[in-house]
Amino acid sequence: MSPSGEVVASVSSALAVLLVLLACVELGDAAAAVGVYRLIQYDLAGAPLGSRAAALNHHAAAFPLPAGADLSRSALVAPLLDLPLSFLREYLSEKKHLGGLLILLPRNISAKNVEGNNDDKGEPKNVLAELEKLLMHEEVPFPVYFAFHDDNLDNLLADIRKIASSGQPASASTGGYKLVVPSAEPKRVSSPTISNIQGWLPGSRGEGDAEQLPTIAIVANYDTFGAAPALSVGSDSNGSGAVALLEIARIFSRLYSSPKTRGKFNLLFGLTSGGPYNYNGTSKWLRSFDQRVRESIDYAICLNSVGSWSNDLWMHVSKPPENPYIKQIFEDFSDVSKEMGISVGIKHKKINVSNSRVAWEHEQFSRFRVTALTLSELSTPPEFLESTGGLYDTRESADVESVMRTVKLVSESLARQIYRLRGRNIDVFADNSSLAISPHYIRSWLDLFSRTPRVAPFLQKNDPFIVALKKVELSEHTTDVHVQNDVLDGMFTFYDATKSTLNVYQVASVTFDLLFLLVLGSYLIVLFSFLVITTRGLDDLINIFRRPPSRKVKGA
Amino acid sequence: MTVFHFLNCAVLTFGPHVVYYSATPLSEYDTIGTSVKAAVVYLGAALVKLVCLATFLKVPDANDSFDPYQELMKILIGFIDVAGLYFALTQLTHRNISQNHKFQAVGLGWAFADSVLHRLAPLWIGARGLEFTWEYIFQGLEANANLVMTLSLAALGSLMWLRKNKPRTLIPIIYACALLLATMPSITSYLRRSLEWQTPKVVGFELFSSLVMAFISWQLFSACQRPM
Repeated sequence: MSPSGEVVASVSSALAVLLVLLACVELGDAAAAVGVYRLIQYDLAGAPLGSRAAALNHHAAAFPLPAGADLSRSALVAPLLDLPLSFLREYLSEKKHLGGLLILLPRNISAKNVEGNNDDKGEPKNVLAELEKLLMHEEVPFPVYFAFHDDNLDNLLADIRKIASSGQPASASTGGYKLVVPSAEPKRVSSPTISNIQGWLPGSRGEGDAEQLPTIAIVANYDTFGAAPALSVGSDSNGSGAVALLEIARIFSRLYSSPKTRGKFNLLFGLTSGGPYNYNGTSKWLRSFDQRVRESIDYAICLNSVGSWSNDLWMHVSKPPENPYIKQIFEDFSDVSKEMGISVGIKHKKINVSNSRVAWEHEQFSRFRVTALTLSELSTPPEFLESTGGLYDTRESADVESVMRTVKLVSESLARQIYRLRGRNIDVFADNSSLAISPHYIRSWLDLFSRTPRVAPFLQKNDPFIVALKKVELSEHTTDVHVQNDVLDGMFTFYDATKSTLNVYQVASVTFDLLFLLVLGSYLIVLFSFLVITTRGLDDLINIFRRPPSRKVKGA
Repeated sequence: MTVFHFLNCAVLTFGPHVVYYSATPLSEYDTIGTSVKAAVVYLGAALVKLVCLATFLKVPDANDSFDPYQELMKILIGFIDVAGLYFALTQLTHRNISQNHKFQAVGLGWAFADSVLHRLAPLWIGARGLEFTWEYIFQGLEANANLVMTLSLAALGSLMWLRKNKPRTLIPIIYACALLLATMPSITSYLRRSLEWQTPKVVGFELFSSLVMAFISWQLFSACQRPM
């Protein structure tokens, strides 16, 4: 190769490198980037359920849709209250394809409908609950995302509607929008773990009392399950129960800190996981106990959804209410409740050992022949995956007052039993005493629970929240704190990609680009002609188009 | 799609320069060497300008208002361009081409270098994105206005520095127009920043003013061409 050829080669290779480098420059230049939360994707005993796709790259569409619109390549953006469930049901039952669905949730889900005139659409909370139930128990072949209303999305929605109402095809002046969620194929969560956290408050044994002390267990499950795993905070179900448990542990730890006031009962506190999955974690937790310990449990109080009741609380049992043991516990609760001016009802539901469905946490105890009951504001047992802390169950759905009343009820009746104060009408945890129930403590924990999505498979065993529950809270008040990690039983398979970022791009249509090219071409031609005419004269311009062949001859 | 848009914008930004070169007698007299020299001078001038800007101006704040002292400095630094043009027109040895073609070739090289330096990189990064904005179309239009203005300025420059016998009455007008053209970047920046004009308005103003200035320069140039 000649020297000059080498130079050319090196220059061209340098240019190639430069071009490759330039091509790598990609910037996040979207008009808006919004955090979105994906509908849960899971398999239940092999059956695929939930949203089966994560990647989204389609033009945005919104209601009202033109008649006969083909949505297979559109991402439908719908505020919660504008999304007709019948539309969704039709799409799911007829297996019609939709490019994607973005559901906009109001910031405050529990808020009453402010605009009084659209009553027909119902309360956001009820609509959301119904939507969640529909989406969770169906196989949805397209990506479904949830997002909260914000300025970006509201502008987007208004723009899409404007385009749709003008009836024009999308062009740059009216503008089209493209919604892009860059996402890889969702991966299976390998061996989802559940973590049960326990702590003890050991009672004092009388002198020469060789017998093992009886134990009273207070249990609440803390994990959740909902349509969007990254949004399932479950403030009421069952954040309220877990918070009540923490407060009971706190006030009893003060009593048990002094040998004089230490009772003749051990107190066992258990925060269990796997609650939505037939209390799988509770069963694992009980199985991990030594037979003797399990037999020493006098009875267990399970707390479930105690965050939003006004006057009636229900005590669910699986033994008949005539059972003297149950009767005694119920009387204790009734006595305290009368003093507090509330009512506690009793509901009996027999357990069916052959049925895998476990509606209440105490039923797991009953299966191990441990007397147990559940305190709940729910009067009927919830269905499978119902009342497990869905999208609608936010901080507003649980109030501190209800949790405080529950704590008061449970701890007063416990104290009466432990210190044998029955019928003496003593207010152990009176307000303004050093043992008073702290609304601040309950509020701050309830706030934390309401900020933390707690779907067990997406909660690592060393998650800060679990560490906080274990180290900061239970260790502070109880002893022998222990976290039991176990694998969630096989019926469920979960998939990740629970949240991602939605990019909204304003895009021009092909027609616009073609039109632009046309205008540009004519501009350049006019400019060319103008310049030729002014500098060389009209004849030259004509010659340019006429002469080429003759020129060739001249050159030859 | 986005590549299509990018190509469109690139043609709008750089097309007029090519068209100008091929449509006018510049291509017949093979003046590309002069244009390349002018472009190199432009690069040098841009470097000097950058150094001056970095030395004499403070970093603008986000909520910066129109600061007269800073703007005056900017105008003065802007005159480095004029100095560069002067150098390109008078000091460089060109193959003997007529004055008529020389200023066109220099102006063209100058404007093309300006477009490449200021508009190519944003275009490459921005116009290929999925997001559509009018920004790059306006930028292309601005490049057109800039070409016209640079040519006008070069024409006036060649009148000022190369032509010896020009009508006395026209001299002040020539200088005034040249001054106006040289301060045009500052004027547009004033419109944008202080009067808060939107981009379409600013670009429209640039296009309009460039055409007006081109017309005036043309008239002046042809007036000087006439034998006295």
